Amino acid sequence: MSNKIGFFVCHCGINISSTVDIKELMEYAKTLDGVVISKDYKYMCSDVGANLIKDSIKKHNLDSVVIACCSPRMHEHTFRGVVEAGGVNAFNLEIANIREQCSWAHENKNLATEKAKALVRGAVAKAKLLESLETSKIKVTPKALVIGGGIAGIQAALDIAEEGHKVYLVEKSPSIGGRMAQLDKTFPTLDCSSCILTPKMMEVANHPNIELLSYSEVIGIEGSIGNYNVKVKKKARFVDMDKCTGCGDCMVACRLKDRISSEFDEGIGKRSAIYMPFPQAVPLKCTIDAENCLLLTRGKCGTGPLCVEACDADAIDFKQKDEEVELNVGVIVVATGYDLLDPTSLHEYGYSRSDDVITTLEMERLISSSGPTTGEIIRPSNGEKPKSITYVLCVGSRDETECTWCCRIGCMSALKHVYLLKEKLGEDIEINICYTDIRSFGKGYEEFYRKIRGMKTNFFRGRPSEVRKSGDHLTIDIFDTTTNKLFEIKTDLVVLAPALVSRADATDFTRILRISQSIDGFFLEAHPKLRPIDTFTGGVFIAGCCQSPKDIQDSVAQASGAAARAANILSKKELEAEPLISYVDEDLCSGCSTCLSVCAYNAIELVKDGDKSQAKVNEALCMGCGLCVVTCPSGAMQQHGYKDKQLRPMIEETV
Amino acid sequence: MGIVDLTSMGESQVKLRNEINERLSRLQDEISDYCYQCAKCTSGCEAHKLLELEPHKIVALLKRGLIDEMINSDVIWTCMSCFKCRERCPQKVAPVEILFALKNMAVASGKQIPGNYTAMLQSVLSIGLIQDVKSITTRDNKTKSRSDLDLPEISKPTDSTKFQMILSKLAVEKV
Amino acid sequence: MKSYVLYPGCVMPTEQYAYEMSIREVLPLLEIKLVDLKDFSCCGEPIKSVNQMLSLALSARNIALAEKEGLDIFAPCPMCHLALSESKRILDSDPAMNEKINKFLADEGLTYMGKSVIVNTLDLLHDIVGVENIKKLAKKPLNELKVATHYGCHLIRPSEIGRPDDSENPQKMEKILEAIGAKPLDYPEKLDCCGGLLTANLPESALTKTGQKLQKVQEQGFDAFIDTCPWCHRQYDSKQTKAGETVAAKLEVPVFYLTQLLGLSFGISSDKLGLDLNLSPVDKLNLGGK
Repeated sequence: MSNKIGFFVCHCGINISSTVDIKELMEYAKTLDGVVISKDYKYMCSDVGANLIKDSIKKHNLDSVVIACCSPRMHEHTFRGVVEAGGVNAFNLEIANIREQCSWAHENKNLATEKAKALVRGAVAKAKLLESLETSKIKVTPKALVIGGGIAGIQAALDIAEEGHKVYLVEKSPSIGGRMAQLDKTFPTLDCSSCILTPKMMEVANHPNIELLSYSEVIGIEGSIGNYNVKVKKKARFVDMDKCTGCGDCMVACRLKDRISSEFDEGIGKRSAIYMPFPQAVPLKCTIDAENCLLLTRGKCGTGPLCVEACDADAIDFKQKDEEVELNVGVIVVATGYDLLDPTSLHEYGYSRSDDVITTLEMERLISSSGPTTGEIIRPSNGEKPKSITYVLCVGSRDETECTWCCRIGCMSALKHVYLLKEKLGEDIEINICYTDIRSFGKGYEEFYRKIRGMKTNFFRGRPSEVRKSGDHLTIDIFDTTTNKLFEIKTDLVVLAPALVSRADATDFTRILRISQSIDGFFLEAHPKLRPIDTFTGGVFIAGCCQSPKDIQDSVAQASGAAARAANILSKKELEAEPLISYVDEDLCSGCSTCLSVCAYNAIELVKDGDKSQAKVNEALCMGCGLCVVTCPSGAMQQHGYKDKQLRPMIEETV
Repeated sequence: MGIVDLTSMGESQVKLRNEINERLSRLQDEISDYCYQCAKCTSGCEAHKLLELEPHKIVALLKRGLIDEMINSDVIWTCMSCFKCRERCPQKVAPVEILFALKNMAVASGKQIPGNYTAMLQSVLSIGLIQDVKSITTRDNKTKSRSDLDLPEISKPTDSTKFQMILSKLAVEKV
Repeated sequence: MKSYVLYPGCVMPTEQYAYEMSIREVLPLLEIKLVDLKDFSCCGEPIKSVNQMLSLALSARNIALAEKEGLDIFAPCPMCHLALSESKRILDSDPAMNEKINKFLADEGLTYMGKSVIVNTLDLLHDIVGVENIKKLAKKPLNELKVATHYGCHLIRPSEIGRPDDSENPQKMEKILEAIGAKPLDYPEKLDCCGGLLTANLPESALTKTGQKLQKVQEQGFDAFIDTCPWCHRQYDSKQTKAGETVAAKLEVPVFYLTQLLGLSFGISSDKLGLDLNLSPVDKLNLGGK
């Protein structure tokens, strides 16, 4: 019980004071039972404000504090420190949110002031009943999990490993490398993508602190910050990793050689049923595709599997089964990347009507010297060299019917292609770019755009309505708003720059990770400006395109940021745990187990006590979400800091 | 009858014009402001190549509030209502709907209604249909009527005086 | 047998008799009963440019007439179908407009209730009857007849109002035609407009649009051109020769209503399907005798 409460109200510049009458609120607070002082300051979160609180605590011997200010999400943590420094237990603090829940939401000053009074009245009523609480310590497992082996995941894994922590890198496909491995060159510097990526992939493979789990998927996560227990499924490769030398003889021998569409080559190239996605794959091991392999799908492969015959190392093992492993880690970095929007949804652009309508990523595979055409640019329909190539930008991007956001890479990758295509096909190759706005925002991007403008490129400022097949070629009507004329473009190859979208399994994955998605489907950061790498789940960080579309530069920067945030936790032996968690009133608990079924963190178990069983909260796992408290039919579940007996008077006073 | 009520500049038209104005400003505020002039509509406009209609320009003019300029122009009457602009607009702007409102405004402001629209409207107001039953010619030049072809009597308003009365009330009072 | 009120509109019952005849012949064979009502008027769509409120009210009036019978409405004309559907959408979602319109309808003792479903020929044939049942009746399959389909703008756009088929890749006509043995093929101009709505004020331009599309169809070697819209059919069939003149081409493309072709494959005599009313050279295909 508290008898001496200090009341402090913040003006928040004019954010609060323009709508709430601060003076009136202060005078009102003085009249409330238990309040011994009432003070205001322009910015209570500043040093001056903090000192005002600390000094007042000492001078008036306060035993609890009520602050009327912004949302506790903003500064509760700050003010707890202040109160503690003043000599009062950090949890003897109650915040009345008179900014987000009052001044920002209302216009009428009189009514807003009345509402602020009600909020303060409630806060004071609760403050009288607050109890001192002690934080407990959690031991940190000094290991990290990185999910996704694209450039963001690779960078994060290397950075954490360099800090001296053990890292598990889980990659879904047979090799790490991700989207960047599919690219020929990178904008705006035209670095060879493989040349700068492969060394990093090798570093991952050889780093003593990194354990790579390729062809594996995270299927379950339990625990919380500092101690996550992760279930990973290692999919059967049907190839013994220790024996396989990566020689590729099996790929050549396979009966389905050049028969299966290659994911890595975006369907433009073909592969065998036993395959390595690309020559620089890490790990450099073969994988049998169980969905296509004749022996695995039909039980029979001619007179016998040719891969087995071809393999001198005796590495093929059709008896292999999926394996489940458990990993214990303290933090998780999610870097699962993006998908391209399937342009068939914009049927008017002819992607499903003509083989000569391709995506920018397919063009990357055509340009790449290690691609299916060894870098020769051809029309997929007939294998001939195109004389005219037309780019359509913003396909499904900035589109209220598809993806509302900008893909952030479409313009620049098209400009990059112009350079590479002119290099390969000669400067006379006709290249048309239909754009809405060229967005060249990064360092050196605008300069690169200028360079391409000087390369005889036909820029049309407008968006085609349709791509039509007419005879052997394609035609596009484009209204060019720079000349106010409609042009008919006859072209051989159309390249669409589709929107970037979240991974098809992103929603399932958020359930496993217990993180959120923003409305666009990408993973949601804790704060768009100030916590762009954190999620709302402690110890889980996001990097790269799984958070939002971005280029390689930004992905790498964010990945290093995520690694730093992760290492920050791993470098501590212990973390402080919030004491605002649930506990069971044993006299009331009937052991009905309703609470168990609602707990998302598996933090409650049923303990037998003689012939009676009762719920018990695992303090290390409880996140203090309060779901069990509101679900409990008998009121046995309570939460520290939010007990029924503390909340009831608060509600009664407020309403 | 009928047509006079609809197009006259009498008092009642003020109310009608206000209503259409409201519709236009709704189209302007709620829809057109979002147009970023990608001109996908004009690239695919069925009337553009033949008759120079530029739907993206119509949207831009509406954004600037230049309604008079448009209702005085014949170009608004070249839209074929193919709805491609509305279907494919990435910002859900519907130039075809703006054009409908502009044409309505032109009529309510007493501008000349082009071509056969007047006859069609008059026909609807008097017999309920845009045209009366025709006798038609076959490939080998025989004339046939509905009854020759064993088709039942056509469905149209039986009490045409009452129908006219109700419609003219609608046209003038604007429901 | 499911019953529908037949809402004929204007163009079909005043001149496009072949559509009406073929509908009346074919649908009963597919267990669809058509109910004729008196008192219908224009749907309002052709005069939407003059006064949108008037078209809304006219559509509502027609729906209300049919609703008195407690039946769903079959509108074979895509333009009517769009007008009725749009009107229904507005009246179902805008209570103020609903009240206004019902006040207007009260003068004739009518009420818009919003209970009747509004279907088009394509809904009936593809979704309600089903391709399988059509296949069963096809006695004289159209031997691999290479056909171009024309849906008509109002049948597929704007999709926001809920159209019988996909706006960018409509396939229901194709499925129906395949069921009777024809071979529909995709062509680049498939979704283009016939221009018919310009007939009121720019008839030459309307014919040019018609001619341009039909010329492309002819160049691509199609045996026949299939439509379901009386406005489009008037352009492509009734005015084909004139349309050809606008593009300086002699057009000889046989144009059929989908329901005529269905009837022929069901073995209905060409007389009853109004085949002699088609002014395009449909004879050259020698489909079904008299």
